[in-house]
Amino acid sequence: MSADTNKFVIPIGPQHPALKEPANFEFWVDGETVTGASVRLGYVHRGIEKGAEARTWVQNLYLMERICGICSHVHATAYTLGVEKLAGVEAPPRAQAIRQIMGELERIHSHMLWLGVAAHEGGFDSLFMYSWRDRETVMDLLEKISGNKVHYSANLLGGVKFDITPELAAEIHKGLEFLDERNRFYLKVVNQDETFIGRPRGIGTMTAERANFLGAIGPTARASGVAHDIRVDAPYLKYSEFPIKVETHTSGDLHGRFIVRINETFESIRVIREILDHLPPGELTARMPRRIPAGEAISRVEAPRGELLYFVASNGSDKPERVKVRTPSLCNWSTVLSLAIGLKLADMPMLLTGIDPCFSCNDRSVSVKRGTQDSSMWSWEKLRHYGIEYYR
Amino acid sequence: MASTIGALGAVEAVLEPLAVSFNRPQPERLDAVIRPDDLLTAVRTMVNESWGFLSAIVGLDHPAPAPVEGEAEVEGSIEVLYTFCKGAAIAILRTTLPYSQAVLPTISGLLPAAMLYEWELREMFGVEVIGLPVTGHLILADDWPDGLYPLRKSFVGFNGEEKSQ
Amino acid sequence: MVAQTLDSSWQGVLAKVKNWARINSPWAIHFNSGSCNGCDIQILATLTPRYDVERFGIKLQGSPRHADVLICTGPVTMQARDALLRTYEQMPDPKFVIAVGSCGLSGGVFHGCYNIVGGINELLPVDVFVPGCPPRPEGIIYGVAVLLGALKSGKRPEPIQWSGTGLDGVLHTGSKLEDHHG
Repeated sequence: MSADTNKFVIPIGPQHPALKEPANFEFWVDGETVTGASVRLGYVHRGIEKGAEARTWVQNLYLMERICGICSHVHATAYTLGVEKLAGVEAPPRAQAIRQIMGELERIHSHMLWLGVAAHEGGFDSLFMYSWRDRETVMDLLEKISGNKVHYSANLLGGVKFDITPELAAEIHKGLEFLDERNRFYLKVVNQDETFIGRPRGIGTMTAERANFLGAIGPTARASGVAHDIRVDAPYLKYSEFPIKVETHTSGDLHGRFIVRINETFESIRVIREILDHLPPGELTARMPRRIPAGEAISRVEAPRGELLYFVASNGSDKPERVKVRTPSLCNWSTVLSLAIGLKLADMPMLLTGIDPCFSCNDRSVSVKRGTQDSSMWSWEKLRHYGIEYYR
Repeated sequence: MASTIGALGAVEAVLEPLAVSFNRPQPERLDAVIRPDDLLTAVRTMVNESWGFLSAIVGLDHPAPAPVEGEAEVEGSIEVLYTFCKGAAIAILRTTLPYSQAVLPTISGLLPAAMLYEWELREMFGVEVIGLPVTGHLILADDWPDGLYPLRKSFVGFNGEEKSQ
Repeated sequence: MVAQTLDSSWQGVLAKVKNWARINSPWAIHFNSGSCNGCDIQILATLTPRYDVERFGIKLQGSPRHADVLICTGPVTMQARDALLRTYEQMPDPKFVIAVGSCGLSGGVFHGCYNIVGGINELLPVDVFVPGCPPRPEGIIYGVAVLLGALKSGKRPEPIQWSGTGLDGVLHTGSKLEDHHG
């Protein structure tokens, strides 16, 4: 790849070019080899769990959505399902189906976004540009349905806010056709392009046993053959009626994670088509009490990155007692800390990208320590270029 | 659903000798109340049984209730929920720690993923986790005041002091 | 709100701006002070061929030392605060700040949470606010265009009164909170 890779800087995540920052990743290296790794999160810590206790149940819907711009719907869905469980209310079938459609569209968006970023991290900017351009199609669909490209706010406590008309359904079908064709192209690139395959192959290899021991979840674990997916293990919304097939791979490395995510995109496209053709008729909302009865509820949903768990506790008032959010990325960070050891420093960007860390936690400052004395601060860009140059 | 009920039955059986009590708040969920001293053994039992995976460690703050005339004061406590999931089944080990004795052993030797959760628990609730192989902050800023635990009910923010900067 | 009587330091700045306004292609740096990435995704969209903000002459690059404009998102978490200040300080004069998104205006939906400072203007003088959660790429480009338009005419952006659209807000300039109430 040419020097063009120097020109483009992705404005996602905090930037600390050449500034002395508390490191967000720390790597100890011996020569080229990583001997230890640690993480420090918190750059995007906003105090949401605490904030939730001071807001009403409905206000929290809008708060939880904004934990992450890329998986906003799945957060809102998990929260809503938890609250509905506490209230003993079930949203009508049509609402559940629409929630599922939005969730799968979001998954497509997230996977295509990841594809571009992962390609960029490896220096494959043309793949990055193409996938991000094509991703605009799914964002357009989401906007046509909800009115917003990001933070669609589909959920209401008890149902959904908007309907999918036959005209909209036709538009979605058209968009999906395009996305299907494009993703087949990407699958071919990922499987056949020799210059591409060299980077992710053999990186971050995790056996199924290791994946289970480390507690990996989501596509990261499924690439190691661990066939866990909440949509199948504990179906929610309309996943019992419109099931998906769990996509796994056996290589357990980063290359496998590419394959799993692209295959999941196909499954999402397929299931959306199926739901659109059999959309249940009926109401969009069910009545919800303003005060939610006291109790505890746990809701688990499959976010694009893995299992998202919400623990919602009520004390009988109009505000929650406790809302705990365990994001999938938190589970997968542990795998990175463990897998980094023995790998080369140049592999770190691709390894980290492989777990698809939610960017709201993907800080961009890295500390590289050689021995006990020499420690230097690298910006992410520097690490990324280091990786690309190393494998040139 | 049959496999869920079966899974819950199996975990109840292995936890029987250790649990103070059991509860089934929802059909897919089993809560087992464990004494803090028995926690490590209980987790080891789960791991030996290969029962699911540790999905989350949830902290709950139960502040001291208002003192009642003529009755002994009740201390505030922190309840910690070790949430294991196997398929659709959820098994939770619940243990309660009084503020004055908010100490737990680390389980990260058995389950590496627990390290991040225990780190967060320590930071947010002030539970001392013996043997946790990390120091410093995970989520809060380096200059966060000592002894201030954001998720305890007693913390009510900085009341705008920060904002006037 | 364009001041008729200017003190000498403000005149100095204006002189610099007039000179600098001959530059048609300001370089921008993006900073995320703890946002959910919603706004950042939309900023990114402006760089894609569909919107192509670069044709307006604004170029996104990586170093604050070469930047004229800081495009900032997020409600400024405690951890981000120092980094944001340092980034701003590293930028050479004259420099301008665009705050993108509701979080940048007031902390947005996180207003009152313990770990955030609030709007970016609590920390830095902000020249243009782009409201929205997140704003559309068109809105961000409009904000950029407002800034560029003002600069080309050699002065800082002026407040714009909205009318007839039902929006009661005002796009403010200036640095302190007191400018923004009322």
